Amino acid sequence: MIKNYIKIAFRGLLKNKGYSFLNIFGLTIGITCASLIFLWVEDEMNFNTDFAKQDQIYYVPTNQKYDGEWRTFYSTPGPLAQDMKNEIPGVVRATRSCSEERTFTVGDHTINKKGRYADQDFLEIFNLSFIEGTAKDAFNNPEAIVITKETAELLYGENTKVLGKIIKVNNNDNYRISGVIENLPKNVSFPFDWVAPFERYRGGAEWMTEYGSNFSDTFVELSPEASFETVDAGIRKIIGKKSEGSDTQAFLHSIKDWHLRSKFEGGKKVGGRITYVRLFTIIAIIILLIACINFMNLSTARSEKKANEVGVRKAMGSTRYSLIIQFVSEALTMAFFAAIASIILLVVLIPQFNLLIEKELILGLTNPLHLGALLGITIICGVLAGLYPAFYLSSFKPVEVLKGIKATNGSASFIRKGLVVGQFTISIVFIICTILVYQQIQHVKNRELGYEKDQLISMKVNGTIINKFSVIRQDLINTGAVKGVALSNSKLLSGGNNGSGLTWQGGTNTEDILISFRYINSDFLNTMGMQLLEGRDFSDHIAKDSTSVMITESFAKLMGEGSAIGKKVHRGDDSYEVTGVVKDYLYGDMYGTSDPVLFFNYHNFARHLYIKTDAQVSTNDMLAKVEKVLKKHNPAFPFEYTFVDEIFNKKFKNEQLVGKLSQLFALLAILISCLGLFGLAAYTAEQRSKEIGVRKVLGASVTGIVKLLSKDFLKLVLISIVVATPIAWYGMNNWLQDFAYRIEINWWIFIIAGIMAILIAMTTVSFQAIKAAIANPVDSLKTE
Amino acid sequence: MILKLNNASKIIKSSGKKIALLNDINLEINTGDFISLMGPSGSGKSTLLNCIGMLDHFTEGAYTFLDEPVHAMKEKQRSKLYKEYIGFVFQAYHLIDELTVYENIETPLLYKNVKSSERKAQVADILDRFNIVGKKDLFPTQLSGGQQQLVGIARALISKPKLILADEPTGNLNSKQGIEIMELFTELNKEGVTIIQATHSESNAAYGSRIINLLDGSIVPE
Repeated sequence: MIKNYIKIAFRGLLKNKGYSFLNIFGLTIGITCASLIFLWVEDEMNFNTDFAKQDQIYYVPTNQKYDGEWRTFYSTPGPLAQDMKNEIPGVVRATRSCSEERTFTVGDHTINKKGRYADQDFLEIFNLSFIEGTAKDAFNNPEAIVITKETAELLYGENTKVLGKIIKVNNNDNYRISGVIENLPKNVSFPFDWVAPFERYRGGAEWMTEYGSNFSDTFVELSPEASFETVDAGIRKIIGKKSEGSDTQAFLHSIKDWHLRSKFEGGKKVGGRITYVRLFTIIAIIILLIACINFMNLSTARSEKKANEVGVRKAMGSTRYSLIIQFVSEALTMAFFAAIASIILLVVLIPQFNLLIEKELILGLTNPLHLGALLGITIICGVLAGLYPAFYLSSFKPVEVLKGIKATNGSASFIRKGLVVGQFTISIVFIICTILVYQQIQHVKNRELGYEKDQLISMKVNGTIINKFSVIRQDLINTGAVKGVALSNSKLLSGGNNGSGLTWQGGTNTEDILISFRYINSDFLNTMGMQLLEGRDFSDHIAKDSTSVMITESFAKLMGEGSAIGKKVHRGDDSYEVTGVVKDYLYGDMYGTSDPVLFFNYHNFARHLYIKTDAQVSTNDMLAKVEKVLKKHNPAFPFEYTFVDEIFNKKFKNEQLVGKLSQLFALLAILISCLGLFGLAAYTAEQRSKEIGVRKVLGASVTGIVKLLSKDFLKLVLISIVVATPIAWYGMNNWLQDFAYRIEINWWIFIIAGIMAILIAMTTVSFQAIKAAIANPVDSLKTE
Repeated sequence: MILKLNNASKIIKSSGKKIALLNDINLEINTGDFISLMGPSGSGKSTLLNCIGMLDHFTEGAYTFLDEPVHAMKEKQRSKLYKEYIGFVFQAYHLIDELTVYENIETPLLYKNVKSSERKAQVADILDRFNIVGKKDLFPTQLSGGQQQLVGIARALISKPKLILADEPTGNLNSKQGIEIMELFTELNKEGVTIIQATHSESNAAYGSRIINLLDGSIVPE
């Protein structure tokens, strides 16, 4: 019997090629689209899940109170790890860890690699699998370093035993390889290519052993029996115990939550990327639904053709049940065709999609989860799409349909119209979202930054750069391609290096306010294109400025009325005089407001070098000249740089991804909806062909008939606009609340989206309407 | 006796008014009868056939089929009964376009869950008997009207019904094809199949053993 149904389904498909194409094509797009989204979701959900002890490993962030507000930081005091391990039952292992980039030299090979300084527990917490050496002995020697297989191969070539070999690091220190580990999986939130004993980090400075400075990551492993609540409660109290008067709280944050749930507000977890994962999952389901709606609509619209078959089959003894099975198997057959087409499409599209979202997703149909999911989607779609038409069609009474009485499809046509409204509502919501996301990203990108990000390159400070800075700077300027050279202890665009406890003239209760510290050179403002509002810039004579500071506008406001120049700022026992006020600039959270900044004229702490280049000189030319200078003065280090505008663009990765994907989905949702509308218009035109014939004979014009046929669809689209507007407004208003710096939602966006939807729908429908209107009435009238 | 109607009526409501499509029908049909129902358009011929065929139902009165009270049955039982004993032949043939001749004829057996080997044998028999073996793989649209009706009758006969209900079986055919179909009916009737046909044509009616005239839903007394 099933064989029989499938055979009929096949013949039906072939017989109604246009109809089958619309359905299969729509479903194919739906399944493809959903598959891409689900692959992405799977990837997002699987961060940090390859560690054997993933359920017991926690990251330890801290909540710190500034100005009455809890703010969450990822840095912790150095002694925290050891103290937790010693004093809190349930903590079996704990490690400090700091991320650094280092230059490795072996013979002629020089490479830069990111890695971590950490305690021995680090190796065991993450169960790093050793190819050479063992976790137990790896850190026995203070000179030790553990490197990944990839790093070993880059330095020594493949298949070489490297244990005990010496690597020169930063052209200065010698490290002895004490272990080689397997490469880390891609889905790790904190990738590293080497691990070295923490004692060696910044020479083990005194301040690193105090509770006052937060600088280190802390990871802990709980025993399998430990209760999260008890351990967490203990950890929350420990900093207050160790450092009197501190209300800073350390707490546990599962490494499984790190990737998706790392947004904190007021010291509480409030989600993070998980929002997008959920959002896109819903979008995938919606797109599948739109595709299924097409099927339902076209099937019920075709009911007159099918009605006769239903009547005959019932007269020959078919039960309703077997008719339902028959129609659902037809839908399933179609869904399977769509699934096969989707697989082909996915093979072609996944590489493109990977480029778009910057991931390395693979189709992996041999993975039972993937195959199962695809099969599941196919079957659910088939059943979902087929069930309503099956129930509807199988309800026909044989006597009526065989007599030729038109099945009263009032309810069906109502549902059909409702479904079209549903489809178009979704499409219009997508259009509006796309426009708003784009606007918001542009809005922030065009935001006044307070510096010029173009023609600016950023490099790591290493080797002799600080010692030879004035020579390097002069040589760079002399190339004619460089306009300014700046040094800073912090990245221009990032937060970090901040603190509180300062007091200043004109401000009360200032100890609680979080201030960012920037140690810069005298050419900094010029290089960054920052604006000096008042006072003077730093001079070349560092000694002369040893007690001078510059502040940003927002800091000046905290100093009360009048000019801030000459006012005093106190930090610990030191006292500084404000000599310049700089216009506020944006760093850290691109959507928020940045903390006030205090600049010191002291570049020996510098870790970042910025070079402003001349736009007149070609990029290649400029880079060649800059490289020549750096190679001359700092030959031991590879020439590596990034453009600040690229770093800037990367800051919008999340939002840009949402933007790109919502564009894509808007397009697909509209495409699928239009396929459905196209089919429906065709059937309406066919159903009304006799009416059109009569009207034409009676003298109706072509435009009159096109209007007549389009009018009904126009009404549906208008209803969709009305339904979509509040939904889109509500959703986008919510989304925008996440950004402190955001656009206003303009009413004209809804009008534009509405007009777009109408134009698209009318283009689709008018094709069929015109075809019907210019047909010869004789053809439609003689067939009775 | 194959079936019996006692005061059977079918009354429907149309825009508030009661209309009697069939009015107080009393009828007894014996096994082996060949009945011709005659009457003008709208006299209730098709309605009577559909009600007897259990695709439709009387609203009043009693209907007994093979000694079983159809009027008291549930849908499921009725459907079981007509699947077993009744075959339909339609004016517009009503073959399923997506199925071949062979598959069209086979369909009623599928719904009766007949085994595959048995189905093959039965369909082969009937194809042979109707001389349409050569056409078995064609689709209905590739056949002439007469041939399509032949397939329609073959399909009605495949489940070996006791009663064939034919609504204007020759209505869409030319006179030569019409005669052929009528001769086939006569032959089937001789083999013991009870036939009730509705027709407009005097000459077709003459093939029957008994003529019943209907007018405005009532039987005209002979």
